[in-house]
Amino acid sequence: MKSRLPINIINGAGMIIVVVLFLMPFVWMVSTSFKTLGETMTFPPVWFPDQFLWENFIKAWNSGPFLRYFFNSVVVTFGILVLQFCTIIPAAYAFARYTFKGDRFFFGLTMITLMIPPQLIFLPVYLQMSSWGLLDSLWALILPFASSAFGIFLLRQSFKQVPEELLEAARLDEASEGKIILKIMIPMAKPVLITFALFSFITHWNDYFWPLVMTTSDSARTLPLGISKLREVEGGVAWNILMAGNMILVIPILIVFFFAQRQIIRAFVYTGVK
Amino acid sequence: MIGKKAFPYAMITPSMIVFCLFFIYPIGYMIYLSLHDWNFVSPVKDFVGLSNFTSLFSEQEFLEVMRNSLVYTVLTVTLTTGTSLGLAVWLNKQGIVYRFVQGAMFSPHIISLVSISMLWMWLMDPDYGLLNWFLGLFGLPESPWLTDPSTSLLSLVLVAVWKGIGFNALVFIAGLQSIPRDMYEAASLDDATWFRTFWKITLPMLSPTLFFLIIINVISSFQVFETIAIMTQGGPINSTNTLVFYIYEYGFNFFKIGYASAAGVLLLIVVSVMTFFYFRLLSVKVHYR
Amino acid sequence: MAQITLKNVSKRFDDEYVVNNMNLTVKDGSFTVLVGPSGCGKSTTLRMIAGLEQVSEGEIWVDDECVNDVSPGKRDVAMVFQNYALYPTMTVKGNIEFGLTNKKVPKKERESLINDIASIVGLENHLYKKPQTLSGGQRQRVALARAMVKKPKVFILDEPLSNLDAKLRSQMRTELIQLHQRLGTTFIYVTHDQVEAMSMGDEIVLLNKGEIQQNDSPMNVYHYPVNVFSAEFIGTPAMNVFLMEKIMPYTSNIDKDAHYVGFRPEHAAILTTQPYEDSHCITLQGQLLTRETLGSETIYQIKHRAGNFTVKSFLPPLEENNKNVFVSIPYEKLYFFDENKEQDRDHHWKQASSLTVEGM
Repeated sequence: MKSRLPINIINGAGMIIVVVLFLMPFVWMVSTSFKTLGETMTFPPVWFPDQFLWENFIKAWNSGPFLRYFFNSVVVTFGILVLQFCTIIPAAYAFARYTFKGDRFFFGLTMITLMIPPQLIFLPVYLQMSSWGLLDSLWALILPFASSAFGIFLLRQSFKQVPEELLEAARLDEASEGKIILKIMIPMAKPVLITFALFSFITHWNDYFWPLVMTTSDSARTLPLGISKLREVEGGVAWNILMAGNMILVIPILIVFFFAQRQIIRAFVYTGVK
Repeated sequence: MIGKKAFPYAMITPSMIVFCLFFIYPIGYMIYLSLHDWNFVSPVKDFVGLSNFTSLFSEQEFLEVMRNSLVYTVLTVTLTTGTSLGLAVWLNKQGIVYRFVQGAMFSPHIISLVSISMLWMWLMDPDYGLLNWFLGLFGLPESPWLTDPSTSLLSLVLVAVWKGIGFNALVFIAGLQSIPRDMYEAASLDDATWFRTFWKITLPMLSPTLFFLIIINVISSFQVFETIAIMTQGGPINSTNTLVFYIYEYGFNFFKIGYASAAGVLLLIVVSVMTFFYFRLLSVKVHYR
Repeated sequence: MAQITLKNVSKRFDDEYVVNNMNLTVKDGSFTVLVGPSGCGKSTTLRMIAGLEQVSEGEIWVDDECVNDVSPGKRDVAMVFQNYALYPTMTVKGNIEFGLTNKKVPKKERESLINDIASIVGLENHLYKKPQTLSGGQRQRVALARAMVKKPKVFILDEPLSNLDAKLRSQMRTELIQLHQRLGTTFIYVTHDQVEAMSMGDEIVLLNKGEIQQNDSPMNVYHYPVNVFSAEFIGTPAMNVFLMEKIMPYTSNIDKDAHYVGFRPEHAAILTTQPYEDSHCITLQGQLLTRETLGSETIYQIKHRAGNFTVKSFLPPLEENNKNVFVSIPYEKLYFFDENKEQDRDHHWKQASSLTVEGM
């Protein structure tokens, strides 16, 4: 028992260092967001501002059409989510429960799509969108993600685990295919659907790359783009305003993370363990 | 009423349309464009064969871009994977304290790269940044971080590692937890040392996870864009210009579509090779079971 | 209530026949048991009747309607599955109600139907629980209730008792028999357990390799097996069957044209001393190999030069050291089969008459 004490101390100290390394930057972000411009320009840095300047947030919010950005972000994120649910549930059901000519081919297509990152195809998609006149619209941000190969993959696994007998029982109960999906498959796959929804929401809420490529004006820009524009304020960077702006972007996600830590970790680690 | 035969096709059609329109077709289109010279506004696309590729490789700037991408990828992947493996083995325990530490490590993964980039720009600020103050505390010389070509790429690697460790460690932990306990019990009955147990049991059992993480880390490192676009814009002196940023600049700022597409095809090759390995790995994994 | 007719029904998977040219009539109101070893096609037959499996050839009729192209939900059949197949996300009530809602039964009627059924199967207090919280027997009752509430023409039960422990199984067996008597509906029941088949069915359809071996009442199947398979499958322990030529040396009064001869273990008497010569019996001398005492009965394995065989006796067990025993079987209890393992017709009526006499 005696020998365990120093190991515990080393262990504990190590964990404190890890936590500091990962959380300190966020603490610094919060602290900066309440400082005056002068306080950001002192060296050595001050940890606690003299008084909490809430107006930094108002300044950040008013420095651009942030209501617009926010609105766009909400529309894009939820638009994607709703469309994805409408497309991946039937597709996953078909892949999990039917054998049809070409099913392997189409599933292969899905798996290939799963491996194609947006960074690879943004240029041709941009040209396509421009020829359809959809550039700089929310459609350009939503449509390419109207379905999700990852979602189909995840949901198919979970649909496959529903015993066949259950579906046969439902068919004998005169349930239509739609009713089977709605009343049996979806309730049984609920944890996976929640997991996927969290994954998709966080991914698209945070996305910077795609809106950057597809939009040219504030009318279609989303929150991450708006926040990144804060940097281009005249007369050098005002770090306090910038950090306040980023708080607006980060806080909602951190709150969600706090309440659904387990599901979120599972949602992202799933990608890793599949 | 849809016929019975047509039913599954109807179910997958919406998704397949999305995939073909926005993922499969664009790849073909990109390959097509890479063989042409086009400036986006001109009505004609001149077929130029492989000359976009040959001129890419004869250009000093592009060779630097490839070197940057390679260095960035190798450093990021080795540091992320190695560190997170160590952390995973250490922190693979139950209990609220460990859950908290795991959660803290993971938190950067769900934060927007915009915020991460800006936060680290601020931390790395050469005059008022927290990092230089920190170095000073330990009596170390201050670093120019992003503002000097000699340290800028390494600074970006640091950010990527910081962001990636938590995710990697948690995937490792999931892998560790899938190793059957009785293997460790057998090893301890065989009086194996911790070190031997790690080398002979943990690591081999973890190898599918390890390879998997290396592959997806390579793919995502080759695609790095956000941190560069926000923190350095490829500078100073092209020292942090990497593949996707290069494609973006040539496509959107210089309107050399064919040129940018050719670079895109190179990225496609990297991703394809990695994907090939990934599917090979998947099929091996299936064999195991 | 309905009569079900299978006309030349076959089921192929690729080129392999699972069910081959089957003709069968399930009588209205009967309790018909499909029984056979695993892979004999009994479940496939059942699933074709339910509509869960398409027939490859032939027709299935329910009363005077050919239902080949009728979807399962519209066939007016209800099924109880081996693993119950209860919807885990719904309550007991939701499970029972699901089919009614799909049939668009008005809410008021649904409520009264569910309450009636629940009290019949004794689930009144569990209506709002999820199936996972119930015991095996209770789940079985939910599955029954779900099937009953639809008032189907035909009940289809696919090995419904195989997941229950022995005690509960025999209890549910009696309950199912009572349920059948009460409803008067046609029951089609699949099992691989011949005890279940014998005890529950009023009609047994014995299947092997996709073909019907025998279709008769349980007692007839037991007393008049039409072939060796039937003789060996029904009855525990199985009937002892020998090649005729192996037995010939030990007897003199048997006709020679049969190819196989058999007797049931329970029809033989086992003695420790040589019995008197009896022209009505065949006597085999053998060695006692093993003895299983089951309380009311004893089963002996006996080694004989014609081959090992089994004898079941209801007398007090023999001492183990009686290595040499004599087994005698009355001639009228012998079964004869021809070279195709079919019942030898000449002997058939002879035995039938003698048994009829005995039965009176």
